[in-house]
Amino acid sequence: MLILKLLQSLAKALHSEGTPGQVALGLALGSILGLTPLLSLHNLLVAALILLLNVSVPGATLGWALAIPLGFALDPMFDALGRQLLLGTPALTPLWTALANLPVVPLSNFNNTVVLGSVVSALLLFAPIFYGSRWAVRRYRETYGERVRGSALYRAVTASRLYGIYRLFRPGT
Amino acid sequence: MSVKIAIVRWRALVPLVLLLAVLVGGWMLLADRLGRLALERGGTALLGAKVEVRSFHFSLGQGDVTVRGLVAASPFDSLKNLVEADELAADLDLLPLLEKKVAIDRLAANGLRFGTARTTSGFVPSSGTSASAQIMANVKSWAAQPALQVPILQLATGKLSVDSLDPRKLQTVQAAESLAARADSSRRAWTAALDSLNAKATADSAVAFAQRLRGAKPTDLALLRDARRMVDRVKQTRDRLTALDRGLKAGAGTLDQGLASLQAARRRDYDFARSLVRLPPIDATAIAWVLFGPEAVQKFQRALYYTQLGRAYMPPGLLPHPHDGPERSRRAGTTVEFPRASRPPGFLLRDAELSFLLSADSSGPRRYSGRLQGLTSAPALYGRPTTFAVRAPTVSADGMFDHVHAISRDALGGTVRGVMLPAIALPGLPLRVVPGRGDVSLGFALYGDSLRGRWTVRAPAATWQRDSNVAGGMAADLLWRVVSGIENLDLTADLGGTLSHPELHVRSNLDQAVSDRLRSMIGAEVDAAESRLRVEVDRFADEKIVPLKTQVAGLVAEANGRVQQGRQALDAAQQQIEQQLRRLTGGIRLP
Repeated sequence: MLILKLLQSLAKALHSEGTPGQVALGLALGSILGLTPLLSLHNLLVAALILLLNVSVPGATLGWALAIPLGFALDPMFDALGRQLLLGTPALTPLWTALANLPVVPLSNFNNTVVLGSVVSALLLFAPIFYGSRWAVRRYRETYGERVRGSALYRAVTASRLYGIYRLFRPGT
Repeated sequence: MSVKIAIVRWRALVPLVLLLAVLVGGWMLLADRLGRLALERGGTALLGAKVEVRSFHFSLGQGDVTVRGLVAASPFDSLKNLVEADELAADLDLLPLLEKKVAIDRLAANGLRFGTARTTSGFVPSSGTSASAQIMANVKSWAAQPALQVPILQLATGKLSVDSLDPRKLQTVQAAESLAARADSSRRAWTAALDSLNAKATADSAVAFAQRLRGAKPTDLALLRDARRMVDRVKQTRDRLTALDRGLKAGAGTLDQGLASLQAARRRDYDFARSLVRLPPIDATAIAWVLFGPEAVQKFQRALYYTQLGRAYMPPGLLPHPHDGPERSRRAGTTVEFPRASRPPGFLLRDAELSFLLSADSSGPRRYSGRLQGLTSAPALYGRPTTFAVRAPTVSADGMFDHVHAISRDALGGTVRGVMLPAIALPGLPLRVVPGRGDVSLGFALYGDSLRGRWTVRAPAATWQRDSNVAGGMAADLLWRVVSGIENLDLTADLGGTLSHPELHVRSNLDQAVSDRLRSMIGAEVDAAESRLRVEVDRFADEKIVPLKTQVAGLVAEANGRVQQGRQALDAAQQQIEQQLRRLTGGIRLP
């Protein structure tokens, strides 16, 4: 079921009416959700951006789904990076102290090593993911897109009821 | 033809607003449940034992939090609770919540009970990296220091240890073997000297010469001269024999002295054998240490644990303070607090009124009250130490956790009078003392790393219980006989030194009684063990000495016999020659 959903996301993202840029932006935003701990305040903002901005929601879903295992795998690195930023860089201490004593900001859990490390990493990866996936989607549509669209597997995947739900949130033009 | 793409998906506004509404609604619906979970998880992580809450209610409008049925398990006893509370009602400041800070102006804690039993284990699996787990490990290793280890087995067995007696180490045996060698040497020397003197040969030739003189004439002057020479030779031989006899007597005397010295060696061997009997400690001051040391260490260990927890979660200064992150499926990481001067601390409980129950007497539990002030996660921001005080006719307790300055000072103490005191099990023995109603006090202070502590128990009507299913050995029998007749228990344990070098002294009214009884019991055992060892020493020594005495006596008798025989032969030969000389010369001495 999980694999089917992933395939559906992939199919929807690659063959949606959205431009490669919309799909790529959705992927990049979705990757933030997957790379960072989900129940954090910044992810509310990311989710709002995905819904409000005219980006590919299937792309975001795909980015999220693909980034979740990556996030788990990279947690030790995020932890180390966050530790270095929060505790190992005295020059940043005044900044963290100021942020920690502002209203609302502490609710983001930025003072947690994994949260900060993963958010910083996700922001650093945002541009490479965006540009890389935009190029990849464009190349795919130019080369294999039409052949895949005509395949039986594609028709089977898109025939699922979930595809219907997707169509409600397909990127507009 | 280019298609213009809209940046904002305005039609998603409605679902987004709906999503936010669902989130807010969900939070309002689940706030109490989430609060309960947060309190349970946070409390468990902080304490290092299960914290459970029956109900949690947060009233956002009024800033009230009500917690009912709080149970905090003991980190040291799986089936006991540290504290139970019927109800905690707190007035929260709402604004600090926006900074993820909790400021409680006033808290009323009702129905606090301590040390209650629980049916399920209150221990939590140790993650190893949590602050409470590390503190527990540190406190356990502190209590495992040699200075705080009680020699349970030495008194628990109460038995003498007797090493085996090695005959090669006995001085009597060594001296006897040396004396036997000297006797052999003397025998060879004396035999050689007597053989070389050969008094019998001299006597035989003198007798033969006397036979020749029987047929001689008085005019045979040469023969007469030879006769004189023979007489002189006999005399010389006898003189040498006399000298040899003197040497022999001296040698025999030396051997006798050697035999006599074996008695002194035997006495030294008795001392050596006595040293093989190792006594258990019967120093009076060690008795209380052995009997109540572990219990005292346990008390101070617990006080140290809670003090160290306080230091971990209420650190001095304004430096960033890291602690374990929240539990989640992803890695918890480390959350760092960044206190800032003139801003509220992350947690502050300004004032708490405590109402608790203690079983004071048969009329049922009594309700007491106390006060806790200034409990905070950043004492330097609050600027005053955390204090608590309880005052009641039979209970008094005070505590101060001063982490405002760089060097933390923690002190807590309490005295409870006229309450039923819990039983104390004696380590390694099937015995326990039930103090009954009495007074107990515990004081503990940690200034920097300097320790001060005192635990006292005064119980005028203590009783003793023995587990009949466990044998326990001689020590248990002995202690049971001694202590079962003692009704009052007066116990004091003093802790001093530093965290790395603690010193513990324990004394009680049982010390002298148990020590005296141990001495008398062990004294009889010592006598028996020493007697057995004396017999063994005698056996090994006599195996050598008896034949040696016979050897020396035989040697001396043989030598004396040969001297005597030689002397008699020489005397007889001289007499015969002189008789013939007188016959030949008519008694006239010739030139």
